[in-house]
Amino acid sequence: MVVDVTLDPELCMGSGDCVRIAPAAFHLDDDAGVSRPTPGAATTELDVLREAARSCPTQAISLARDGIVLHASSAGGRPGSAPR
Amino acid sequence: MTGAGAAAPTIVLDRYDEIREALFDASLSRTFDERSYAEGNIRDGVVSVSHGAVHRARRRVENTQFRPDVLRLYERELFPRILTTLLDRLIDAPSVDIFAVGEQLSVVLAARRAGIDVADDDLDQIRELVHYVDVFSQGSAILDARDPDAVRALVYETYETFERGWVRPSWERRVAAIERHERGEIQADDLPHDILTALLRHRDDPQVDLGDTGRVTREVATYLQGGTHTSAQTLVNALDLIFGEGERAAPIVARAAVDLAFAQRVVHETLRLRPTTPRMRRRSVASTTIAGREIPAGTVVVLDVDAANRDPRLFGADPDAFDPDRPVDPSVARWGLSFGAGAHQCPGRSVGGGFPAPPRGDVGDDHLFGLVALEIREICRRGPRPDPDRAPERDLRTERHTRWAHYWVRFDTGAGTP
Repeated sequence: MVVDVTLDPELCMGSGDCVRIAPAAFHLDDDAGVSRPTPGAATTELDVLREAARSCPTQAISLARDGIVLHASSAGGRPGSAPR
Repeated sequence: MTGAGAAAPTIVLDRYDEIREALFDASLSRTFDERSYAEGNIRDGVVSVSHGAVHRARRRVENTQFRPDVLRLYERELFPRILTTLLDRLIDAPSVDIFAVGEQLSVVLAARRAGIDVADDDLDQIRELVHYVDVFSQGSAILDARDPDAVRALVYETYETFERGWVRPSWERRVAAIERHERGEIQADDLPHDILTALLRHRDDPQVDLGDTGRVTREVATYLQGGTHTSAQTLVNALDLIFGEGERAAPIVARAAVDLAFAQRVVHETLRLRPTTPRMRRRSVASTTIAGREIPAGTVVVLDVDAANRDPRLFGADPDAFDPDRPVDPSVARWGLSFGAGAHQCPGRSVGGGFPAPPRGDVGDDHLFGLVALEIREICRRGPRPDPDRAPERDLRTERHTRWAHYWVRFDTGAGTP
């Protein structure tokens, strides 16, 4: 099942951490100064996506699969999560 | 632990997971002390104390200067040249204050990154900038200052001379370059790669909130200070930890002199044991819950990073030991929480500390080790050892135990050899 990856550009501050952790799943839009998901996100391992989402400093990334939220952005719920 | 401060109840968090959660919590503000952070204060409007949409907009602009391609330019081209040019000139006596050496090396690069034009080989200019860094560093640690009012007055006065003598000339040169770019005479890549240029290009954006000239000066000063002082203190703390190993010190120095990945782990282990801000502070602007603990609005929350960085569940059975080779789970940063986390995590963490190495340590050709690792390697190549005749001196103007004023070192080889 494909993971639905969304990134809230209003929350993103362009740290580039997601691009460093999951370069196939995100790219930096230099004009806007924010990250964007790429089509490669669909084939990126879930653990890598989770780490990118967990590391996002503003918790701008949401992950969902089959309607179930795997990681909520801070716009969609409580920010932050404890490390493993 | 809960206690009662003079003005507000205080909660201390000392576990890694709860501090990390607190750092991501938007209800916990850095505006801890209204007198220190309200309008008209010494850090008014700088990125590190701004919030919400303004903070994110400013960071979007400034983060462009911390991209891997820009960092690579600094680490692979600019800094090795500065090290080559300056290090042997600075090690000019049998006993050398390595903190002063670290400051002078780091300030050149921090100035470039901040957007302050300085001649790489002019020690008078470099030392003048170090003086500004010293003042701004006292300002950045004002919450731990022994005499905050004296620090506040000194910082105000220094902003004025810094703006007049350094920011304004650099500003005018950048405005001229931006105008040339707007006329199509030069490409964007030909503009200076620095914070001041990035800010001036976006100064008309109301979200970035930089209409006030003084705010631009304070922002540039923040990057100059942060880029210099933390690197220099980390360099000294690394050597202090190495020297503290007794008979093991010489093999560690020898290894760091030839193994840059090991030198990077020395830096990360140093940051873990000697965080720049051992105890961070926040104020809850609304009621919140951290790790199941209720925190009422108006509470002062102390984040004991020093303690969290020594959590044996994350850093092993002997977390107080200096062990650059200690195994750490890849989900946990080797430097612990010393760079913070969340929206206000240190933007310069990759400059000083590089990027995390893969778990097995097999780094690629494009890996960035960070500038302090480069400094450590070059200094270790010269055979440093503590000066038995001159004890190191801590910075007694602050209660932070990780800050040094002077640290005297002798060298087995190089210009300082008697």
